[in-house]
Amino acid sequence: MPEVAKVLPFRARVGVASCSREEASARARTFRNLPEADRSEQCVNEAYSDGDVLTSICSELWELINTSPSDVAEESPRIYKWLSAKGARDFFFDERDYFLGESALLAAGSFRLLGKRDETERWLDRADASFRHTVAPAAHLARVSYIRLTLRYDMRRHEEVLELVPSVALTFQKLGMENDLAKCRFLEAMSLKELGRVEEAAVSFERLASGEEYRIEPALCGMALVNLGNLRSEQGSFDSALVAYRQASPLLQSANRFSALADLKLMLGGTLQRTGHLGAAVQAFRESVNDYVALGMEARAAYLRVVLAEALLEGGNPREAEWEILAALPTIDQEKMVPESFAAVAILRESVRQRKTDPRALLELREYLQTKN
Amino acid sequence: MEISDEFEATPSAENVFETEVQSVFQETLGLIHIALVSHYQLTEQEATELEKDLFVWFRRFCYRPGASIRENRPYLLVACCQFAREYQKYVVGTGVRASDEKLKSLLDREPVDVAHDFSRSLQLYDFRRSDA
Repeated sequence: MPEVAKVLPFRARVGVASCSREEASARARTFRNLPEADRSEQCVNEAYSDGDVLTSICSELWELINTSPSDVAEESPRIYKWLSAKGARDFFFDERDYFLGESALLAAGSFRLLGKRDETERWLDRADASFRHTVAPAAHLARVSYIRLTLRYDMRRHEEVLELVPSVALTFQKLGMENDLAKCRFLEAMSLKELGRVEEAAVSFERLASGEEYRIEPALCGMALVNLGNLRSEQGSFDSALVAYRQASPLLQSANRFSALADLKLMLGGTLQRTGHLGAAVQAFRESVNDYVALGMEARAAYLRVVLAEALLEGGNPREAEWEILAALPTIDQEKMVPESFAAVAILRESVRQRKTDPRALLELREYLQTKN
Repeated sequence: MEISDEFEATPSAENVFETEVQSVFQETLGLIHIALVSHYQLTEQEATELEKDLFVWFRRFCYRPGASIRENRPYLLVACCQFAREYQKYVVGTGVRASDEKLKSLLDREPVDVAHDFSRSLQLYDFRRSDA
Protein backbone atom coordinates (compact mmCIF):
# COMPACT_ATOMS: atom_id res chain seq x y z
CA MET A 1 0.00 0.00 0.00
CA PRO A 2 1.37 3.46 -0.82
CA GLU A 3 2.69 5.60 2.01
CA VAL A 4 -0.47 7.67 2.09
CA ALA A 5 -2.58 4.66 2.93
CA LYS A 6 -0.14 3.38 5.50
CA VAL A 7 -0.56 6.67 7.35
CA LEU A 8 -4.31 6.75 6.90
CA PRO A 9 -6.34 4.01 8.57
CA PHE A 10 -7.50 2.46 5.29
CA ARG A 11 -8.47 -1.20 5.08
CA ALA A 12 -6.26 -3.39 7.23
CA ARG A 13 -3.54 -5.26 5.40
CA VAL A 14 -2.83 -7.92 7.96
CA GLY A 15 -4.20 -10.82 5.97
CA VAL A 16 -2.80 -9.91 2.58
CA ALA A 17 -0.02 -12.46 2.59
CA SER A 18 -2.16 -15.38 1.44
CA CYS A 19 -0.95 -18.83 2.43
CA SER A 20 -1.42 -22.14 0.62
CA ARG A 21 -4.46 -24.29 1.32
CA GLU A 22 -2.24 -26.93 2.92
CA GLU A 23 -0.63 -24.40 5.23
CA ALA A 24 -4.01 -22.88 6.11
CA SER A 25 -5.45 -26.35 6.83
CA ALA A 26 -2.50 -27.22 9.05
CA ARG A 27 -2.88 -23.98 11.01
CA ALA A 28 -6.64 -24.53 11.29
CA ARG A 29 -6.11 -28.06 12.62
CA THR A 30 -3.51 -26.91 15.15
CA PHE A 31 -5.90 -24.23 16.37
CA ARG A 32 -8.89 -26.57 16.52
CA ASN A 33 -6.92 -29.19 18.44
CA LEU A 34 -6.28 -26.72 21.25
CA PRO A 35 -8.88 -26.94 24.02
CA GLU A 36 -10.73 -23.66 24.40
CA ALA A 37 -9.13 -22.98 27.79
CA ASP A 38 -5.67 -23.17 26.23
CA ARG A 39 -6.40 -20.71 23.44
CA SER A 40 -4.80 -17.35 24.18
CA GLU A 41 -6.41 -14.16 22.88
CA GLN A 42 -3.51 -13.74 20.47
CA CYS A 43 -3.91 -17.29 19.19
CA VAL A 44 -7.65 -16.76 18.61
CA ASN A 45 -7.04 -13.43 16.88
CA GLU A 46 -4.40 -14.93 14.61
CA ALA A 47 -6.65 -17.82 13.57
CA TYR A 48 -9.91 -15.93 13.06
CA SER A 49 -8.43 -12.83 11.44
CA ASP A 50 -6.71 -14.82 8.70
CA GLY A 51 -9.24 -15.41 5.92
CA ASP A 52 -7.41 -18.50 4.67
CA VAL A 53 -7.27 -20.13 8.10
CA LEU A 54 -10.87 -19.20 8.83
CA THR A 55 -11.94 -20.72 5.50
CA SER A 56 -10.16 -23.93 6.51
CA ILE A 57 -11.73 -23.91 9.97
CA CYS A 58 -15.18 -23.58 8.40
CA SER A 59 -14.43 -26.42 5.93
CA GLU A 60 -13.30 -28.62 8.79
CA LEU A 61 -16.46 -27.84 10.77
CA TRP A 62 -18.66 -28.68 7.77
CA GLU A 63 -16.90 -32.04 7.52
CA LEU A 64 -17.48 -32.61 11.23
CA ILE A 65 -21.09 -31.51 11.47
CA ASN A 66 -22.70 -34.91 10.86
CA THR A 67 -20.32 -36.89 13.04
CA SER A 68 -19.87 -34.46 15.91
CA PRO A 69 -22.59 -31.78 15.87
CA SER A 70 -21.96 -30.84 19.51
CA ASP A 71 -18.36 -29.84 18.67
CA VAL A 72 -19.60 -27.65 15.84
CA ALA A 73 -22.33 -26.18 18.05
CA GLU A 74 -19.60 -25.05 20.46
CA GLU A 75 -17.05 -23.73 17.99
CA SER A 76 -19.19 -21.92 15.42
CA PRO A 77 -20.96 -19.50 17.82
CA ARG A 78 -17.50 -18.56 19.17
CA ILE A 79 -16.40 -17.62 15.65
CA TYR A 80 -19.60 -15.65 15.11
CA LYS A 81 -19.18 -13.76 18.38
CA TRP A 82 -15.55 -12.91 17.58
CA LEU A 83 -16.48 -11.64 14.10
CA SER A 84 -19.42 -9.63 15.47
CA ALA A 85 -17.06 -7.67 17.69
CA LYS A 86 -14.96 -6.60 14.68
CA GLY A 87 -15.66 -3.90 12.14
CA ALA A 88 -16.02 -4.43 8.39
CA ARG A 89 -12.72 -2.61 7.84
CA ASP A 90 -10.83 -5.43 9.50
CA PHE A 91 -11.78 -7.69 6.60
CA PHE A 92 -11.53 -7.83 2.85
CA PHE A 93 -14.55 -6.47 1.06
CA ASP A 94 -17.52 -8.72 2.00
CA GLU A 95 -15.56 -11.27 4.03
CA ARG A 96 -16.90 -10.23 7.44
CA ASP A 97 -20.47 -10.77 6.25
CA TYR A 98 -19.53 -14.01 4.55
CA PHE A 99 -17.80 -15.51 7.60
CA LEU A 100 -20.57 -14.29 9.90
CA GLY A 101 -23.08 -16.04 7.63
CA GLU A 102 -20.97 -19.19 7.39
CA SER A 103 -20.44 -19.49 11.16
CA ALA A 104 -24.15 -18.82 11.80
CA LEU A 105 -25.13 -21.45 9.23
CA LEU A 106 -22.78 -23.96 10.85
CA ALA A 107 -24.35 -23.20 14.22
CA ALA A 108 -27.85 -23.59 12.75
CA GLY A 109 -26.99 -26.90 11.10
CA SER A 110 -25.42 -28.33 14.24
CA PHE A 111 -28.20 -27.19 16.60
CA ARG A 112 -30.74 -28.70 14.22
CA LEU A 113 -28.95 -32.05 14.39
CA LEU A 114 -28.98 -31.77 18.18
CA GLY A 115 -32.75 -31.25 18.08
CA LYS A 116 -32.63 -27.64 19.35
CA ARG A 117 -35.18 -26.06 17.05
CA ASP A 118 -35.49 -22.58 18.58
CA GLU A 119 -31.75 -22.06 18.48
CA THR A 120 -31.64 -23.37 14.93
CA GLU A 121 -34.22 -20.75 13.87
CA ARG A 122 -32.27 -17.97 15.57
CA TRP A 123 -28.99 -18.96 13.90
CA LEU A 124 -30.69 -19.29 10.53
CA ASP A 125 -31.96 -15.72 10.87
CA ARG A 126 -28.43 -14.57 11.65
CA ALA A 127 -27.00 -16.46 8.67
CA ASP A 128 -29.66 -14.96 6.42
CA ALA A 129 -28.98 -11.43 7.69
CA SER A 130 -25.24 -11.73 7.04
CA PHE A 131 -25.24 -13.58 3.72
CA ARG A 132 -27.65 -10.97 2.34
CA HIS A 133 -24.76 -8.46 2.26
CA THR A 134 -22.23 -10.63 0.46
CA VAL A 135 -21.34 -10.02 -3.15
CA ALA A 136 -23.02 -13.18 -4.49
CA PRO A 137 -25.68 -14.16 -1.94
CA ALA A 138 -27.85 -16.52 -4.04
CA ALA A 139 -25.95 -19.72 -3.26
CA HIS A 140 -25.66 -18.99 0.45
CA LEU A 141 -29.27 -17.89 0.89
CA ALA A 142 -30.32 -21.12 -0.81
CA ARG A 143 -28.19 -23.04 1.70
CA VAL A 144 -30.01 -21.20 4.51
CA SER A 145 -33.37 -22.07 2.90
CA TYR A 146 -32.34 -25.71 2.67
CA ILE A 147 -31.68 -25.94 6.41
CA ARG A 148 -35.00 -24.17 7.04
CA LEU A 149 -36.66 -26.91 5.00
CA THR A 150 -34.92 -29.66 6.97
CA LEU A 151 -36.27 -28.01 10.10
CA ARG A 152 -39.77 -28.11 8.59
CA TYR A 153 -39.19 -31.79 7.86
CA ASP A 154 -38.24 -32.36 11.51
CA MET A 155 -41.49 -30.63 12.50
CA ARG A 156 -43.36 -32.96 10.17
CA ARG A 157 -44.53 -30.15 7.90
CA HIS A 158 -43.97 -32.33 4.88
CA GLU A 159 -46.48 -30.65 2.54
CA GLU A 160 -44.61 -27.37 3.04
CA VAL A 161 -41.30 -29.07 2.27
CA LEU A 162 -42.72 -30.45 -0.97
CA GLU A 163 -44.09 -27.05 -1.92
CA LEU A 164 -40.89 -25.10 -1.23
CA VAL A 165 -38.07 -27.48 -2.08
CA PRO A 166 -38.26 -27.05 -5.91
CA SER A 167 -37.30 -23.37 -5.70
CA VAL A 168 -34.22 -24.10 -3.57
CA ALA A 169 -33.32 -27.02 -5.82
CA LEU A 170 -33.56 -24.78 -8.88
CA THR A 171 -31.04 -22.33 -7.40
CA PHE A 172 -28.60 -25.17 -6.74
CA GLN A 173 -29.19 -26.52 -10.24
CA LYS A 174 -28.54 -23.14 -11.85
CA LEU A 175 -25.32 -22.74 -9.88
CA GLY A 176 -24.12 -26.26 -10.64
CA MET A 177 -24.12 -27.21 -6.93
CA GLU A 178 -24.83 -30.89 -7.56
CA ASN A 179 -24.44 -32.23 -4.05
CA ASP A 180 -26.73 -29.57 -2.60
CA LEU A 181 -29.21 -30.33 -5.36
CA ALA A 182 -29.06 -34.02 -4.48
CA LYS A 183 -29.66 -33.15 -0.82
CA CYS A 184 -32.84 -31.35 -1.89
CA ARG A 185 -33.96 -34.41 -3.85
CA PHE A 186 -33.24 -36.56 -0.81
CA LEU A 187 -35.27 -34.28 1.46
CA GLU A 188 -38.10 -34.34 -1.06
CA ALA A 189 -38.01 -38.15 -1.14
CA MET A 190 -38.02 -38.31 2.66
CA SER A 191 -41.10 -36.09 2.79
CA LEU A 192 -42.84 -38.22 0.16
CA LYS A 193 -42.03 -41.29 2.26
CA GLU A 194 -43.47 -39.68 5.39
CA LEU A 195 -46.63 -38.73 3.50
CA GLY A 196 -47.08 -42.34 2.40
CA ARG A 197 -46.32 -41.61 -1.26
CA VAL A 198 -44.17 -44.71 -1.22
CA GLU A 199 -43.63 -45.36 -4.92
CA GLU A 200 -42.62 -41.78 -5.70
CA ALA A 201 -40.23 -41.84 -2.76
CA ALA A 202 -38.75 -45.17 -3.86
CA VAL A 203 -38.14 -43.87 -7.38
CA SER A 204 -36.33 -40.82 -5.97
CA PHE A 205 -34.19 -42.90 -3.61
CA GLU A 206 -33.30 -45.27 -6.46
CA ARG A 207 -32.27 -42.39 -8.69
CA LEU A 208 -30.11 -40.90 -5.96
CA ALA A 209 -28.52 -44.24 -5.07
CA SER A 210 -27.73 -45.02 -8.70
CA GLY A 211 -25.57 -41.88 -8.87
CA GLU A 212 -26.51 -41.52 -12.54
CA GLU A 213 -28.11 -38.12 -12.30
CA TYR A 214 -25.84 -36.29 -9.89
CA ARG A 215 -22.31 -36.53 -8.62
CA ILE A 216 -23.11 -36.99 -4.94
CA GLU A 217 -21.15 -37.80 -1.83
CA PRO A 218 -21.15 -41.50 -0.79
CA ALA A 219 -22.85 -40.72 2.53
CA LEU A 220 -25.93 -39.31 0.79
CA CYS A 221 -25.99 -42.31 -1.54
CA GLY A 222 -25.83 -44.55 1.56
CA MET A 223 -28.69 -42.67 3.24
CA ALA A 224 -30.82 -43.04 0.10
CA LEU A 225 -30.14 -46.80 0.18
CA VAL A 226 -31.04 -47.07 3.88
CA ASN A 227 -34.39 -45.40 3.25
CA LEU A 228 -34.99 -47.39 0.09
CA GLY A 229 -34.37 -50.54 2.14
CA ASN A 230 -36.82 -49.33 4.76
CA LEU A 231 -39.50 -48.73 2.12
CA ARG A 232 -38.91 -52.15 0.57
CA SER A 233 -39.11 -53.74 4.01
CA GLU A 234 -42.45 -52.04 4.72
CA GLN A 235 -43.69 -53.29 1.34
CA GLY A 236 -42.73 -56.83 2.37
CA SER A 237 -39.77 -57.08 -0.04
CA PHE A 238 -37.36 -58.18 2.67
CA ASP A 239 -34.66 -59.49 0.34
CA SER A 240 -34.54 -56.19 -1.57
CA ALA A 241 -34.41 -54.38 1.77
CA LEU A 242 -31.44 -56.39 2.97
CA VAL A 243 -29.60 -55.85 -0.33
CA ALA A 244 -30.07 -52.09 0.03
CA TYR A 245 -28.86 -52.13 3.66
CA ARG A 246 -25.83 -54.18 2.66
CA GLN A 247 -24.94 -51.67 -0.05
CA ALA A 248 -25.47 -48.73 2.28
CA SER A 249 -23.33 -49.90 5.17
CA PRO A 250 -19.81 -49.50 3.64
CA LEU A 251 -20.77 -46.14 2.13
CA LEU A 252 -21.84 -44.78 5.51
CA GLN A 253 -18.87 -46.32 7.30
CA SER A 254 -16.36 -44.80 4.89
CA ALA A 255 -17.99 -41.41 5.41
CA ASN A 256 -18.07 -41.78 9.22
CA ARG A 257 -21.83 -41.13 9.21
CA PHE A 258 -22.44 -42.67 12.59
CA SER A 259 -25.98 -41.37 13.08
CA ALA A 260 -26.99 -42.72 9.66
CA LEU A 261 -25.37 -46.05 10.59
CA ALA A 262 -27.43 -46.04 13.79
CA ASP A 263 -30.53 -45.41 11.63
CA LEU A 264 -29.50 -48.30 9.40
CA LYS A 265 -29.29 -50.64 12.42
CA LEU A 266 -32.72 -49.47 13.57
CA MET A 267 -34.23 -50.14 10.16
CA LEU A 268 -32.40 -53.46 9.81
CA GLY A 269 -33.75 -54.41 13.24
CA GLY A 270 -37.26 -53.56 12.05
CA THR A 271 -36.86 -55.78 8.99
CA LEU A 272 -35.47 -58.65 11.07
CA GLN A 273 -38.35 -58.26 13.54
CA ARG A 274 -40.91 -58.41 10.72
CA THR A 275 -39.29 -61.58 9.33
CA GLY A 276 -39.37 -63.25 12.73
CA HIS A 277 -35.64 -63.04 13.50
CA LEU A 278 -36.22 -61.56 16.92
CA GLY A 279 -32.80 -62.33 18.41
CA ALA A 280 -30.99 -60.62 15.55
CA ALA A 281 -33.48 -57.73 15.65
CA VAL A 282 -32.81 -57.17 19.35
CA GLN A 283 -29.08 -57.17 18.69
CA ALA A 284 -29.47 -54.61 15.89
CA PHE A 285 -31.65 -52.38 18.10
CA ARG A 286 -29.16 -52.61 20.96
CA GLU A 287 -26.30 -51.55 18.71
CA SER A 288 -28.39 -48.67 17.46
CA VAL A 289 -29.12 -47.53 21.04
CA ASN A 290 -25.41 -47.67 21.88
CA ASP A 291 -24.52 -45.66 18.78
CA TYR A 292 -27.03 -42.92 19.61
CA VAL A 293 -25.84 -42.75 23.21
CA ALA A 294 -22.23 -42.47 22.02
CA LEU A 295 -23.25 -39.63 19.69
CA GLY A 296 -24.96 -37.77 22.54
CA MET A 297 -28.35 -38.09 20.78
CA GLU A 298 -30.21 -38.92 23.98
CA ALA A 299 -33.76 -38.33 22.69
CA ARG A 300 -33.20 -40.63 19.75
CA ALA A 301 -31.64 -43.23 22.06
CA ALA A 302 -34.71 -43.05 24.34
CA TYR A 303 -37.02 -43.70 21.38
CA LEU A 304 -34.85 -46.65 20.35
CA ARG A 305 -34.99 -48.09 23.86
CA VAL A 306 -38.78 -48.09 23.58
CA VAL A 307 -38.54 -49.92 20.24
CA LEU A 308 -36.07 -52.35 21.80
CA ALA A 309 -38.36 -52.91 24.80
CA GLU A 310 -41.20 -53.86 22.45
CA ALA A 311 -38.99 -56.40 20.69
CA LEU A 312 -37.78 -57.80 24.03
CA LEU A 313 -41.33 -58.13 25.29
CA GLU A 314 -42.33 -59.85 22.07
CA GLY A 315 -39.39 -62.22 22.50
CA GLY A 316 -40.43 -63.15 26.01
CA ASN A 317 -37.85 -61.10 27.91
CA PRO A 318 -40.01 -58.85 30.12
CA ARG A 319 -37.23 -58.10 32.65
CA GLU A 320 -34.87 -56.75 29.99
CA ALA A 321 -37.77 -54.80 28.49
CA GLU A 322 -38.36 -53.17 31.89
CA TRP A 323 -34.70 -52.11 32.11
CA GLU A 324 -34.89 -50.46 28.73
CA ILE A 325 -38.12 -48.65 29.62
CA LEU A 326 -36.65 -47.48 32.92
CA ALA A 327 -33.58 -46.21 31.06
CA ALA A 328 -35.74 -44.35 28.50
CA LEU A 329 -38.31 -42.68 30.79
CA PRO A 330 -36.02 -40.05 32.41
CA THR A 331 -35.00 -38.70 28.96
CA ILE A 332 -38.60 -38.81 27.74
CA ASP A 333 -39.57 -36.64 30.74
CA GLN A 334 -36.53 -34.37 30.61
CA GLU A 335 -36.73 -33.68 26.87
CA LYS A 336 -40.54 -33.34 27.03
CA MET A 337 -40.88 -35.90 24.27
CA VAL A 338 -44.54 -36.48 25.17
CA PRO A 339 -47.14 -34.06 26.60
CA GLU A 340 -47.67 -34.23 30.35
CA SER A 341 -51.23 -35.44 29.79
CA PHE A 342 -50.05 -38.41 27.78
CA ALA A 343 -51.61 -41.27 29.74
CA ALA A 344 -49.64 -44.13 28.20
CA VAL A 345 -46.47 -43.04 29.99
CA ALA A 346 -48.14 -43.08 33.41
CA ILE A 347 -49.69 -46.48 32.71
CA LEU A 348 -46.39 -47.82 31.46
CA ARG A 349 -44.50 -46.47 34.47
CA GLU A 350 -46.98 -48.09 36.86
CA SER A 351 -47.03 -51.40 34.99
CA VAL A 352 -43.22 -51.55 35.04
CA ARG A 353 -43.25 -50.76 38.77
CA GLN A 354 -45.55 -53.76 39.22
CA ARG A 355 -43.25 -55.77 36.92
CA LYS A 356 -46.14 -56.39 34.50
CA THR A 357 -45.22 -54.22 31.51
CA ASP A 358 -48.35 -53.12 29.66
CA PRO A 359 -47.72 -53.92 25.95
CA ARG A 360 -50.56 -51.61 24.78
CA ALA A 361 -49.14 -48.61 26.64
CA LEU A 362 -45.71 -49.44 25.26
CA LEU A 363 -47.11 -49.64 21.70
CA GLU A 364 -48.97 -46.35 22.15
CA LEU A 365 -45.83 -44.62 23.42
CA ARG A 366 -43.69 -46.03 20.59
CA GLU A 367 -46.20 -44.93 17.95
CA TYR A 368 -46.42 -41.47 19.46
CA LEU A 369 -42.65 -41.06 19.58
CA GLN A 370 -42.33 -42.39 16.04
CA THR A 371 -44.66 -39.73 14.67
CA LYS A 372 -43.60 -36.79 16.83
CA ASN A 373 -39.84 -37.10 17.15
CA MET B 1 1.04 -7.73 -10.85
CA GLU B 2 3.04 -10.92 -10.94
CA ILE B 3 1.37 -14.22 -10.31
CA SER B 4 3.34 -17.43 -10.18
CA ASP B 5 2.93 -19.63 -13.23
CA GLU B 6 4.73 -22.64 -11.81
CA PHE B 7 3.08 -25.92 -12.63
CA GLU B 8 3.63 -29.56 -11.79
CA ALA B 9 3.67 -32.49 -14.19
CA THR B 10 0.66 -34.21 -12.56
CA PRO B 11 -1.39 -31.46 -11.02
CA SER B 12 -3.69 -32.30 -8.12
CA ALA B 13 -7.31 -31.15 -8.11
CA GLU B 14 -6.24 -28.30 -5.87
CA ASN B 15 -3.47 -27.25 -8.24
CA VAL B 16 -5.92 -27.32 -11.14
CA PHE B 17 -8.24 -25.13 -9.09
CA GLU B 18 -5.48 -22.67 -8.20
CA THR B 19 -4.31 -22.55 -11.82
CA GLU B 20 -7.86 -21.80 -12.98
CA VAL B 21 -8.21 -19.02 -10.40
CA GLN B 22 -4.94 -17.47 -11.61
CA SER B 23 -5.92 -17.88 -15.23
CA VAL B 24 -9.32 -16.20 -14.79
CA PHE B 25 -7.74 -13.43 -12.76
CA GLN B 26 -5.02 -12.84 -15.36
CA GLU B 27 -7.63 -12.73 -18.14
CA THR B 28 -9.53 -10.03 -16.27
CA LEU B 29 -6.49 -8.13 -15.07
CA GLY B 30 -6.27 -5.88 -18.13
CA LEU B 31 -9.82 -4.68 -17.59
CA ILE B 32 -9.25 -4.32 -13.85
CA HIS B 33 -6.17 -2.21 -14.47
CA ILE B 34 -8.06 0.05 -16.89
CA ALA B 35 -10.86 0.43 -14.32
CA LEU B 36 -8.45 1.33 -11.56
CA VAL B 37 -6.13 3.66 -13.48
CA SER B 38 -8.24 5.21 -16.25
CA HIS B 39 -11.59 5.37 -14.48
CA TYR B 40 -10.89 5.50 -10.76
CA GLN B 41 -7.68 7.49 -11.41
CA LEU B 42 -5.42 5.49 -9.15
CA THR B 43 -1.68 5.72 -9.74
CA GLU B 44 0.08 2.74 -11.28
CA GLN B 45 1.60 1.88 -7.91
CA GLU B 46 -1.73 2.12 -6.10
CA ALA B 47 -3.41 0.02 -8.77
CA THR B 48 -0.76 -2.70 -8.50
CA GLU B 49 -1.22 -2.85 -4.73
CA LEU B 50 -5.00 -3.05 -4.99
CA GLU B 51 -4.70 -5.76 -7.62
CA LYS B 52 -2.76 -7.86 -5.10
CA ASP B 53 -5.57 -7.39 -2.57
CA LEU B 54 -8.12 -8.29 -5.21
CA PHE B 55 -6.32 -11.52 -6.05
CA VAL B 56 -6.22 -12.55 -2.39
CA TRP B 57 -9.95 -11.87 -2.08
CA PHE B 58 -10.86 -13.53 -5.38
CA ARG B 59 -8.93 -16.70 -4.58
CA ARG B 60 -10.77 -17.08 -1.30
CA PHE B 61 -14.06 -16.11 -2.93
CA CYS B 62 -13.66 -18.98 -5.39
CA TYR B 63 -13.39 -21.43 -2.49
CA ARG B 64 -16.88 -20.45 -1.32
CA PRO B 65 -19.74 -22.76 -2.28
CA GLY B 66 -21.48 -21.56 -5.40
CA ALA B 67 -20.72 -20.81 -9.01
CA SER B 68 -17.65 -21.94 -10.96
CA ILE B 69 -14.47 -19.88 -11.03
CA ARG B 70 -15.19 -18.54 -14.51
CA GLU B 71 -18.75 -17.62 -13.56
CA ASN B 72 -17.33 -15.66 -10.63
CA ARG B 73 -15.56 -13.20 -12.93
CA PRO B 74 -18.28 -10.51 -12.82
CA TYR B 75 -18.01 -10.50 -9.02
CA LEU B 76 -14.30 -9.83 -9.36
CA LEU B 77 -15.19 -6.63 -11.19
CA VAL B 78 -17.71 -5.67 -8.49
CA ALA B 79 -15.01 -6.12 -5.86
CA CYS B 80 -12.54 -4.17 -7.99
CA CYS B 81 -14.90 -1.19 -8.23
CA GLN B 82 -15.75 -1.41 -4.54
CA PHE B 83 -12.07 -1.53 -3.50
CA ALA B 84 -11.16 1.36 -5.80
CA ARG B 85 -14.11 3.50 -4.75
CA GLU B 86 -13.51 2.94 -1.06
CA TYR B 87 -9.82 3.73 -1.39
CA GLN B 88 -10.22 6.76 -3.62
CA LYS B 89 -13.04 8.18 -1.51
CA TYR B 90 -10.80 7.90 1.50
CA VAL B 91 -7.83 9.57 -0.18
CA VAL B 92 -9.99 12.33 -1.68
CA GLY B 93 -11.99 12.74 1.52
CA THR B 94 -8.90 13.37 3.62
CA GLY B 95 -7.70 16.05 1.18
CA VAL B 96 -4.58 14.20 0.14
CA ARG B 97 -5.78 14.20 -3.47
CA ALA B 98 -8.06 16.55 -5.39
CA SER B 99 -11.03 15.21 -7.27
CA ASP B 100 -12.33 16.29 -10.68
CA GLU B 101 -15.92 16.09 -11.90
CA LYS B 102 -15.38 12.86 -13.78
CA LEU B 103 -13.98 11.10 -10.72
CA LYS B 104 -16.64 12.62 -8.45
CA SER B 105 -19.49 11.31 -10.60
CA LEU B 106 -17.83 7.86 -10.74
CA LEU B 107 -17.42 7.77 -6.96
CA ASP B 108 -21.09 8.72 -6.60
CA ARG B 109 -22.14 5.67 -8.61
CA GLU B 110 -22.72 2.30 -6.98
CA PRO B 111 -19.78 -0.06 -7.63
CA VAL B 112 -22.23 -2.75 -8.78
CA ASP B 113 -23.48 -0.45 -11.57
CA VAL B 114 -19.99 0.52 -12.65
CA ALA B 115 -18.96 -3.14 -12.61
CA HIS B 116 -22.01 -3.99 -14.68
CA ASP B 117 -20.77 -1.62 -17.39
CA PHE B 118 -17.37 -3.25 -17.23
CA SER B 119 -18.98 -6.68 -17.46
CA ARG B 120 -20.33 -5.71 -20.85
CA SER B 121 -16.74 -5.08 -21.94
CA LEU B 122 -15.90 -8.50 -20.59
CA GLN B 123 -18.70 -10.10 -22.60
CA LEU B 124 -17.43 -8.30 -25.68
CA TYR B 125 -13.95 -9.62 -24.93
CA ASP B 126 -15.30 -13.18 -24.56
CA PHE B 127 -17.23 -12.81 -27.80
CA ARG B 128 -14.12 -11.71 -29.67
CA ARG B 129 -12.10 -14.49 -28.09
CA SER B 130 -14.60 -17.18 -29.10
CA ASP B 131 -14.73 -15.65 -32.57
CA ALA B 132 -10.97 -15.81 -33.02
